[in-house]
Amino acid sequence: MIKKDLSVDFLGVHFENPFCLSSSPVGNCYEMCKNAYDAGWGGIVYKTLSPTHFKIDEVSPRFDELAKEDMHFVAFKNMEQLSEHPLEQDLADMRRLKEEYPNKVLIASIMGETLEDWTNLAKLVTEAGADMIELNFSCPQMTSHTMGSDVGTNPELCKKNCEAVKRGTSLPVLAKMTPNITTMVPVVKACLEGGADGFSAINTVKSIVDVDLKKKVGLPNIDGKSSVSGLSGKAVKPIALRFLQQLRSAAGLEQLPISGIGGIETWEDAAEFILLGATTLQVTTAIMEYGYRIIDDLTNGLMHYMEEQHVDHLQDLVGLANKNIIPTNQLDRNYKVYPKIDWDKCIGCGRCFISCQDGAHQALTWDDEKRQPVFDKSKCVGCQLCALVCPVGAIKLGLVEIKPGHKGNPAEIDVGSQRLHRYHPVKANQEN
Amino acid sequence: MTSKYETESKGYTMTTVMQEAARCLLCHDAPCSQACPAHTNPAKFIRSVLFRNVKGAAETIRENNALGSICARVCPTECYCEKACTRAKIDGPIDIGGIQRYVTDMERKMNMKILKAGKPNGMSIAIIGSGPSGLQAATTLREKGYAVDIYEKAAKAGGYLTYGIPEYRLPEEIVDYEVQRIVDLGAHIIYNTTVGKDISMDDLKTRYNAVIVAIGTSEAKMLPMFEHNICTESAISFLARAKESKGNLEDLPQNVLVIGGGDVAMDVVTTLKKLNVPYVTDVVYEQFDEFKASKKELAGAQEAGVTIVDGYVPKEVHQNRATFTHRKIKSELTITADKIILAVGQKANAEGLDIDLQHNEIPFREPRFRTKDPKVFATGDIVAGDKTVVVAVQKGKEVAEEIDRLLGGQEND
Repeated sequence: MIKKDLSVDFLGVHFENPFCLSSSPVGNCYEMCKNAYDAGWGGIVYKTLSPTHFKIDEVSPRFDELAKEDMHFVAFKNMEQLSEHPLEQDLADMRRLKEEYPNKVLIASIMGETLEDWTNLAKLVTEAGADMIELNFSCPQMTSHTMGSDVGTNPELCKKNCEAVKRGTSLPVLAKMTPNITTMVPVVKACLEGGADGFSAINTVKSIVDVDLKKKVGLPNIDGKSSVSGLSGKAVKPIALRFLQQLRSAAGLEQLPISGIGGIETWEDAAEFILLGATTLQVTTAIMEYGYRIIDDLTNGLMHYMEEQHVDHLQDLVGLANKNIIPTNQLDRNYKVYPKIDWDKCIGCGRCFISCQDGAHQALTWDDEKRQPVFDKSKCVGCQLCALVCPVGAIKLGLVEIKPGHKGNPAEIDVGSQRLHRYHPVKANQEN
Repeated sequence: MTSKYETESKGYTMTTVMQEAARCLLCHDAPCSQACPAHTNPAKFIRSVLFRNVKGAAETIRENNALGSICARVCPTECYCEKACTRAKIDGPIDIGGIQRYVTDMERKMNMKILKAGKPNGMSIAIIGSGPSGLQAATTLREKGYAVDIYEKAAKAGGYLTYGIPEYRLPEEIVDYEVQRIVDLGAHIIYNTTVGKDISMDDLKTRYNAVIVAIGTSEAKMLPMFEHNICTESAISFLARAKESKGNLEDLPQNVLVIGGGDVAMDVVTTLKKLNVPYVTDVVYEQFDEFKASKKELAGAQEAGVTIVDGYVPKEVHQNRATFTHRKIKSELTITADKIILAVGQKANAEGLDIDLQHNEIPFREPRFRTKDPKVFATGDIVAGDKTVVVAVQKGKEVAEEIDRLLGGQEND
């Protein structure tokens, strides 16, 4: 079994691996956290603590899922708010966890209503032994408008809350950001001014996932009604990655410390967050679906990736992709790359033909006799939709051609794309 | 020489293997893993595939099973992991063998070297026979730091894997590849050397810290009435000839009678059909509901067009004419064929090895694998238990552990 050092240092705290539970139902008490640590998770953001005067009273049922074809949990909607245990009990659980797992990271998530709440909660979790504090500025389903994601869209309020927290602790402070905003940059800058040290992104996306067509109510149905609430899971990963890029490409934020969250399920997802600037990673939805055991393949897969990349320190990978995401007007539009069909692999299903006909530029027609596609280069725009729909990986990138009236040398153009070969953990140019 | 057989199917692609892996229910208690005799842990490697970690999946298979690519192809999974699969309660079991084949094929394409030799511990072990159990024992011992010499009487390693299982079920290159991995791990194979003839058992006992007898049951059993019949050949001899010649047999008849109903008999009849023999009749002692052959192999034979007659016992044979009587009903059957192939079981040849065998197995002892000589151990088919490759693999692991315990090599674990 491969062994690689997955440890990272983040805001002065050492993590044996970057994988943490995010503040959510998966880290809701001593027992759950203990099981997660034992399974191999490097850290836990304990479910958000709130002041005793704020009463948590949850609905039932409280989840929904977005499905596509036979895939469940493409996205996941939840309506839970914060920890429902008495504050003292959660603090006692945190204290016990830190005593029993001194080398694992324990992050306290807190959410106050008033400035005094933020200061007091910060004091309490610092005394309980937390290594770091995460400020929940982003839960989209709070029953109070003075708490949650409405706060996270208000830079001035975030700054004041950060200052209040810093009055109560000297621990490193993470602010957890909401994606329900066009740009995170002003909020992040305000939090930095208020004393925040790093950022967790993203919290859940405001959503309605399903509507019951008979009862005409959103799901989950709570006595005939439903609410907008947070969406998580694989489908939000692209949104999360976009926000990471937005932050790391903003002037002055190029080295922003980030804990990445949003649909992480496999080691590849994790690597993508790291390459776009996350140092640690947080997971909930995949755990809710599959359990803490997914840590096995997250860590092992990431180790193999480090081996392939000849990297000994995971930190060396942080942010390597940021410079390769550029504005659309700066992309090279001089060339197109044609598909290349491997006839030995083609099984004659016709999926490429259908997609090209109905979704692209009719460059593929169909030979009824041979049951195979026929390629008309003159109509092809090089979109590669055919390669994406091929179920057997028979369509690869082929000839590169400079478009009429454009300039360039095809031999110098980098068209190698892991995406089109991503089902193979081998180099992109290697055959299936 | 070009092969007369069709090549094996291409197997899964990453997209299709993901679809099959997604059928897996990821059971908490994973009955499939509990049912694998070699503890290859299908639940874990399927989960790794689903989480897009093919390298991790390959590690799980290889670390538990030195013959992972071979077992993926020949294991009667319907008797072990797939029999236990919870998904069968919904529609059908997960194609665990197929997923294992995909993973091990990828392991090969990626040229992964998962197993590592242990730090040399100064001790050496001789293994007699390079069949599955001998090969696995060699692997486990190399991982623990022992020097390993394998004595093989034939010109190639693999035993029944090489000389028995037909090409269409197990391509020769797969066996060669698995053997090469074990050679790369530092096991030394001495070919064309029969212990008890070319080198004595006493010699081995003096030169090595322990000797493992992994000779399998390499000789055919004969029914007395067929002993001097010129039209009769043993299944083992036929399969070896077919395999070595890649199906280029010159004396292929038109009409063959096969006697026997185990997996070896199924290999023979299916091979004959694949070589385009038009008439293949298999007469079997057992009735269908008590058949010994795996259901998969039986179905393959029937699909290939073999005529199978169940419940008959040979009564007499005269040249190429054999007469059978039914075991229970009053019925007689006479078949005239160009050739008769007998697949009625195998026996061990332990000549010159000085081990006691009863019914081709060592007598039961505690701990398992011990023989009457404290320095000599047995593994594979001459030890009680199923006679499948996967069970041979597990016995190979266990005999290596037993020797390591005895010789005090724990610190190498």
